[in-house]
Amino acid sequence: MSWEVRTMQSKTSYFNGTLFRRNLSRFWPLWGLASFLGALVPLALLLQTLRRSAEGYPAENALSFTNFYYGAVGYALPVISLLYAILCAMVVWNYLYNSRSVGLMHSLPIRREGLFLTNFLSGMAMLLIPYVVTGGLCVLYSLLYGCFDLTGLAVTVAAVLGESLFYFGSATLVAFLVGNVFALPALYFLLHFLAVLLDWLVSAFSRGFLFGVSGDYSGTVEWLSPTVYLLRRVQPVCTYEEVSRRTESTGEIWYEHVLTEVHLEGLWVVGVYALAGLVMLALAWLLYRRRRSESAGDVVAVGPVKPLFRFGLAALAALLGGIALYELFWQNLTGGRYFEALPMVVCMAAAGAIGYYGASMLLAKSLRVFRGSWKGLALVLCACAALCGALEFDLPGVEKRVPEQEEVETVDLQVAGNSYTFYPEEEEALLEQVRTLHSAIAAERDSIIERQESWWGETDRETMVRLRLTYRLKNGRMVKRSYDLPLSQERMAQAGTYENLLDALINGEAMKAKRLHLNDPEYQAAGGYLYRNADNRDFDLNSREAAAILEALGQDVQEGTWGTHDWFTHDNRNDYAVDLNLYFHQTGDPEDGPVDVAEERISIRLRPAMRHTIACLRELGLVTEDTLRTYGELYPEDFDEAADAIAQEDTVAVTAVYS
Amino acid sequence: MIEVKDAVKRFDGFAALDGASLSVPDGSVYGLVGPNGAGKSTLIRHLTGIYRQDSGTVRMGGADVWEDAELKRRVAAIPDDWYYFNQASIRDMMRFYRGFYPRFSVERYEKLKEVFNIDEKKTIRRLSKGMQKQVAFWLALSCMPDYLILDEPVDGLDPVMRRQVWSLMMGDVSERGTTVLVSSHNLRELEDVCDHVGIMDHGRVLLERSLAQLQDNMVKLQVVFPDGMTEVPPELPVLHSSRIGRIHTLIMRMNAQEATERLTGYHPMLVDAVPLTLEEIFIYELGGADYAVKDIVL
Repeated sequence: MSWEVRTMQSKTSYFNGTLFRRNLSRFWPLWGLASFLGALVPLALLLQTLRRSAEGYPAENALSFTNFYYGAVGYALPVISLLYAILCAMVVWNYLYNSRSVGLMHSLPIRREGLFLTNFLSGMAMLLIPYVVTGGLCVLYSLLYGCFDLTGLAVTVAAVLGESLFYFGSATLVAFLVGNVFALPALYFLLHFLAVLLDWLVSAFSRGFLFGVSGDYSGTVEWLSPTVYLLRRVQPVCTYEEVSRRTESTGEIWYEHVLTEVHLEGLWVVGVYALAGLVMLALAWLLYRRRRSESAGDVVAVGPVKPLFRFGLAALAALLGGIALYELFWQNLTGGRYFEALPMVVCMAAAGAIGYYGASMLLAKSLRVFRGSWKGLALVLCACAALCGALEFDLPGVEKRVPEQEEVETVDLQVAGNSYTFYPEEEEALLEQVRTLHSAIAAERDSIIERQESWWGETDRETMVRLRLTYRLKNGRMVKRSYDLPLSQERMAQAGTYENLLDALINGEAMKAKRLHLNDPEYQAAGGYLYRNADNRDFDLNSREAAAILEALGQDVQEGTWGTHDWFTHDNRNDYAVDLNLYFHQTGDPEDGPVDVAEERISIRLRPAMRHTIACLRELGLVTEDTLRTYGELYPEDFDEAADAIAQEDTVAVTAVYS
Repeated sequence: MIEVKDAVKRFDGFAALDGASLSVPDGSVYGLVGPNGAGKSTLIRHLTGIYRQDSGTVRMGGADVWEDAELKRRVAAIPDDWYYFNQASIRDMMRFYRGFYPRFSVERYEKLKEVFNIDEKKTIRRLSKGMQKQVAFWLALSCMPDYLILDEPVDGLDPVMRRQVWSLMMGDVSERGTTVLVSSHNLRELEDVCDHVGIMDHGRVLLERSLAQLQDNMVKLQVVFPDGMTEVPPELPVLHSSRIGRIHTLIMRMNAQEATERLTGYHPMLVDAVPLTLEEIFIYELGGADYAVKDIVL
């Protein structure tokens, strides 16, 4: 008997169309649902436009539509890609985790390279189809309403392709590190946020041992947590022009911010991550060539990664679990602001042992891992003890470190509700004052800790302020410190104490001008916000109003009616019940990255003596005789003696009062 | 020709293959037998390119199996736990196989449809285990392979379908010269179809011969010794002996003529040589390899 043989095979074995089509048809619910959800965005946009046009508003223009694209790229794309890429990776690489499926796929007449490329392209196609659907509908919309912008579209497409490549590349690499479908998303998310988690953990841990170390997230290695980094770095930057408009019927003049330019900042970051995605794909391919089919079902499929997983999980558990156990048991039992070394070693050892054996059990797929594992466990325990010992005795010399002036590029100081940036070239004397203050605080470490521990609350003669220092060094590093400083009037009067140095710095004339960025060409008043307690109304201030108020404030500074910080006064009964905030826009070096508006904000307490500022506010129509009421007049019940006493006992917040 | 030489494969220190070697002539049907855990499935996964040996060689038609897509287009395999896509119908899987195997014959697929008589639009996971096995044969035979590698292939098939399937495979062997390597515990069935047999244990192929050689190399004798002689003489090379009344049943590793001549010296009242079944050979060969067969009474 002879059988007719039909040849259906493609000639190259590096791509198989059957497998590609099979993947897409098998997993259509995934990309179909994603496409449907994506299509809702242009649909919502269309409905919104129809409503707005019915209300008489103009349709979107090309710039605002590009801003919409860039907004999606900046604020949504990293998160969507992070989540969706792992789903696509889980479906296309799922066959690696089951001995039956891996048996079928690897017995087929196609090389591993062919399987890799075909499955990779299938996954990328699944990842991109929803973007194509959403983007296609958005393009249709923009053509329909005449707001099509080719540059904006091209940049958006590049960003989508770059981030998709990166996220799917990273998911693919993780897919080849693990041998279990549940381990894939677990390790993927862990690796994507490990840098942020470790940053927070190390900061929190160091803060517990080392005096003055900031427990804040430092962001030093944030680029290793790409989603966070992309969200912060890739953003639309818009330029608005303030245009005056006149209402014909009433003759009223009002100001409008008109978008004149938009670009996507940080697109190069996407490019770098896309390259990283390619590198990870190449690594994944190399791993696939060496991957053993029998690793299906293992938590970690690559032999050399197994010790890393075991000890990495133990270290993570020791840090995270150690802090948690310490806070839960020892902290609750004894209180105290700083960690005690011995109890922390015990807590870390317990958590580290759990992590070590947990990892061992996952690797061995068995609960019987105790025999012969004492060496690894001993290593974990020794590392815990060594770390606690090193921090307890400050072997790195962190507590006493005050950077030399020649090392410093800039210094940020935050205290009493204001922030200041010092530049050594222009403000050598002020910077030296800051360094002297920092040295004095470091020298008085023990007495500060003692006073912190015995702190009972603020009085008329004692208070507590938080001082934050951030040195940006010329070598690219940062030194961050945060101190909760007890202040007393007696010590503030004594020369050489940190209280005295702090007061001399903050209430110096140069600092008053600096606080308002007077004569500083790098800062311009960008706007502000005013809230009147008397009639519960608020106003957004434009840049002209903010500039006028700033000028008036400058005159009050010259007359000495604003700018001197009173560390020990907490009573605001004679202040006007008006909240006034001004925002500054940094016009300096654009390479410094986007300006964080929140840091460039100043809160101003309005007092009757500030005649220039009050006159300016009256002129701008922001306050009237009726609305200029003090807190004492407006809320007399808050200022009777009994309430005052209770408030004094309960108040822990530090308030900034300029009089 | 399928040729495995000194193949070693370790899983976490355990040697699943410990220097296994075998040789399957082209156009032959080779039965791979061995106790559970002997390494048969591991060896088969090497032959189908799923596993890569730590050392040694695994070759078919003179080429290494590992990552040789060209060679694997001529190899079809049915593992003991055949995989199909969860929602796939038989026709879906046929399209899938057709996309990979250039020699896949749709014509043969259509002809085999009549043999197996299963609705090809049915989802495979809804079929019984035996029907799923039939589907695996249906697709594998439609690939028109030169090498057919089967791991416990007829488990779950009813006797009629077993015969049908073997008949199809034998047809391929005789008409197309297909080489079949089959691992099975059903030794009586293998005895009917195999012309070569390899016995595996502890990751090694203990012996491999043609079935005729194997049967000629070991003999079962029923002997009645003369009066007064109740025990088997200790100088006789007996693999295993048992006794019912005066009749001794002896298993000896030599051919029937030689064994009969050796016994004649003891003037037995009766000597009758009976050929061993494959199952008996398997048991007594492994008995020599410390396999626990000592209490088995024939």
